[in-house]
Amino acid sequence: MSTQPAPYGPEVRIRIGGPAGFGIKAAGQMLARVFARGGYHTFDLTEYPSLIKGGHNSYHLRVSEQEIFSHVMPTDLLLALDAQTVSLHLPELTQGAAIIFDPADAAAADLDLAGRDDLCLVPVPLTDIVYEVGGVKIMRNVVALGAVLGQLGFPLQGLLDSLEAQFAHKPAEVAEHNVAAATRGFEVATALQCTSPHRLQVLPPRPFVLADGNEACGLGALAAGIGFYAAYPMTPASSLLTFMAKHAEDQAVVVKHTEDEIAAINMVIGAAFGGTRSMCATSGGGFALMVEGLGFAGVSESAVVVGLFTRPGPATGLPTYTEQSDLRFAIHAAQGEFSRVILAPGDHADAFDLTWQAFNLADRLQTPVIILGDTYLSDNRQTLDQFASDDVTVDRGELVTEGKVEDYERYALTDSGVSPRVLPGVEGAVQLVNSYEHDAHGWATEDPATRDSQNSKRLAKHKLAVELAPPPVEFGPREADLSILLFGSTKMPTREAMKWLSAEGVTVNMLQLVTVWPFPAASVAEFLERSTRSLVIEGNATGQLEGLVREFCLREPGHRLHRTDGRPFSPELIYATVHRILGQHVDLTDAGAVATTRGAR
Amino acid sequence: MPDVKEFATGAKPTWCPGCGNYGMWEALKRALAQLGWDKREFAVVWGIGCHGNGADFLDVQGMHALHGRALPPATALRLTRPDLHVIVEMGDGDGYGLGMGHFIHTLRRNPDLTVIAHNNQIYGLTAGQASPTTDHLTRTVSTPTGVLEEPVNPIGLALAEGTTFIARGFAGDIPHLTQLYVQALSHKGLALVDVFQPCVSWNHHNTLQWFRERVYKLEDTDWDSTNRVAAFELSLSTFHDLTCSPETCRVPIGVYYSESGVPTYEDGVAASQQPGWKRAEEPQDVSGIAASLG
Repeated sequence: MSTQPAPYGPEVRIRIGGPAGFGIKAAGQMLARVFARGGYHTFDLTEYPSLIKGGHNSYHLRVSEQEIFSHVMPTDLLLALDAQTVSLHLPELTQGAAIIFDPADAAAADLDLAGRDDLCLVPVPLTDIVYEVGGVKIMRNVVALGAVLGQLGFPLQGLLDSLEAQFAHKPAEVAEHNVAAATRGFEVATALQCTSPHRLQVLPPRPFVLADGNEACGLGALAAGIGFYAAYPMTPASSLLTFMAKHAEDQAVVVKHTEDEIAAINMVIGAAFGGTRSMCATSGGGFALMVEGLGFAGVSESAVVVGLFTRPGPATGLPTYTEQSDLRFAIHAAQGEFSRVILAPGDHADAFDLTWQAFNLADRLQTPVIILGDTYLSDNRQTLDQFASDDVTVDRGELVTEGKVEDYERYALTDSGVSPRVLPGVEGAVQLVNSYEHDAHGWATEDPATRDSQNSKRLAKHKLAVELAPPPVEFGPREADLSILLFGSTKMPTREAMKWLSAEGVTVNMLQLVTVWPFPAASVAEFLERSTRSLVIEGNATGQLEGLVREFCLREPGHRLHRTDGRPFSPELIYATVHRILGQHVDLTDAGAVATTRGAR
Repeated sequence: MPDVKEFATGAKPTWCPGCGNYGMWEALKRALAQLGWDKREFAVVWGIGCHGNGADFLDVQGMHALHGRALPPATALRLTRPDLHVIVEMGDGDGYGLGMGHFIHTLRRNPDLTVIAHNNQIYGLTAGQASPTTDHLTRTVSTPTGVLEEPVNPIGLALAEGTTFIARGFAGDIPHLTQLYVQALSHKGLALVDVFQPCVSWNHHNTLQWFRERVYKLEDTDWDSTNRVAAFELSLSTFHDLTCSPETCRVPIGVYYSESGVPTYEDGVAASQQPGWKRAEEPQDVSGIAASLG
């Protein structure tokens, strides 16, 4: 049985499980929308193998009256679209949890409940109802969603509105069948009157945005005035390509699905040469192909933005799972040396903010800016009040787009290392952008002094990058029992765990490295200096962030928490780890966790 | 009208004396002058190889890109800058070897680009290794017992993928090449000009003299450049073996195939109708999209 530290406010955790190809994610997202419209905060987590049909897929939805920061491990209501789902997810079911299942899959007596008698069984003949209302088998989901609302005591109308909206462009009977299916599922579940403690009522509506990390990133890019996006599909970045493609026409953005990631980044460099704000995104494998182009962007001083949304490697790895093991890869990618900026959004709001800021940094510095995310952020949807779109600014740095110039030198030497940029097409701006080492005009040279001055100029931008890149963000009290250092999406479960710990009187603070490169050494050193005990949390095996702390701060972090089984850090795992470091054993399960922690050396 | 001289940077070319790149350089300068293009109106993107060194000799705005990767940045530049003509200069090892993936996919798109391939059938800059267009069984430093692959047929590939202007030139005939360039540059859509450009240092078989004895001009025959199937057969005929005589081994130069009125890739992209940088003049309102999510 799954337990959880209290209190977490009124909330219900729903899991939908079943075979891949059953539309589980789509059904879950519809449910999330219904609850978000019903005034709740939601956070969802989709887990699916890299298969189109066949394996076990599941979708976990957390619905809360209070602000929440991440997923959690327990489930209060399990919607089992096959019998296997019950046995797979039994350990995470809380006291009195409900299971909605189809007796056609397995009779109640045949369910593998491991002797638990606290559970509330809700048999709903999903398939029979579909045929009864004249529908097709894929609509089992819809019956089940109606049943979920019936079981929770939540009004059905929101779901019916969603269904009608979704099928508005189809023949009328499609919406009618779906409405009938949902209604029947709702009625059957309600009539069963299964007494589970988990109920939800409609709250006063509040404004919200429901977005995943890739959508947040795409919105940030659109707000920043992106004009060119290129990508080759690769999980978990693919949905950013489809998002951009969907909005290409109405937003006047050129979006290109290229033959490979090599073409994607080289196209982005070409579009950037013409002055267009340009971006590509991929995961580690595609980034490996982009590495050559990244160096070209560096030496040619091209203002490009590259999304690197990581997953477990090496090579194809675990395509649909999450990991933070490409931090060093991003920092060191490409031969030679040049300035770069790496921003690591920690949540959906960050993904929006840092993406538009990435375009400003790329223009100001005329060098590649990498947005380092991961599957946990890319894929999962969270409600936000809104994105901070009023804060968006466009700063293109030293850029002349029209008119006339004289004696123009693209790579003129300057103190900051940034040369004024004049677009091709401007009179007098004949210039060569070059992958070879070059002189101030852009022509290739092997002259030692010129090589040194141009190489130094490109590296000089690091200083300006330190100045311009967003600083780390600190959460929690200034003085704390434990100080946590992290980057990226680990911020979400850590904030959640900090909330639980704080309620127990355990003080924890956290420094989120928003910019991981240039490494914010002074802030990290000051934070560690102030700490009683320190913990670095990162989703890799070798302590890539910890190594940076050693290298740049000459400090040894006290404790470390790593995770490399493809699953995201859970707040339960972080909560239990904090307690263990503070000398207290907490029995909390994070099913499947293969986390390793080691004490201070 | 710009003068031919205006397109030279003044740098002394580093190509070997007698290199076919001189003829190609000269022909392009003449074609640009003849068309009267202002330097603001076009950009050139080079790959890496002996041909690419031309980036330092041709005084125009452009990019000296990566080896094999001239086509992607050129494609994107054209897509986001409708006010610019874009010319690509690439080599045979560069464009047909390392960059073959980009080449094939660019052909499929019919972008409004002029692609000039410097085809010397050898790797010159890296000192004499076999290239994708080196003849079968040719011995080179990287194939001491002879090339075992069939050479790439760029014209056949271009025909297969719907390229709308396909020509073959010869660097030893500058006036003829100039006219091919003028036609290619004036073409709306993808124009490929594959130019035999003898390498004096490393290709001792396909020499200037070898070509002089074999080339003939399609326009001197009753060639119909609108017949795609016939053009494909003609592209096969240019695969010569090492022993063929000038009488049996004829190399047609001129326009193999030309088709006008085919929509370009840019025609199909709404956002491509204005310069992409204009979208970043101020922050864009995304509240409508944000509200539509979920």
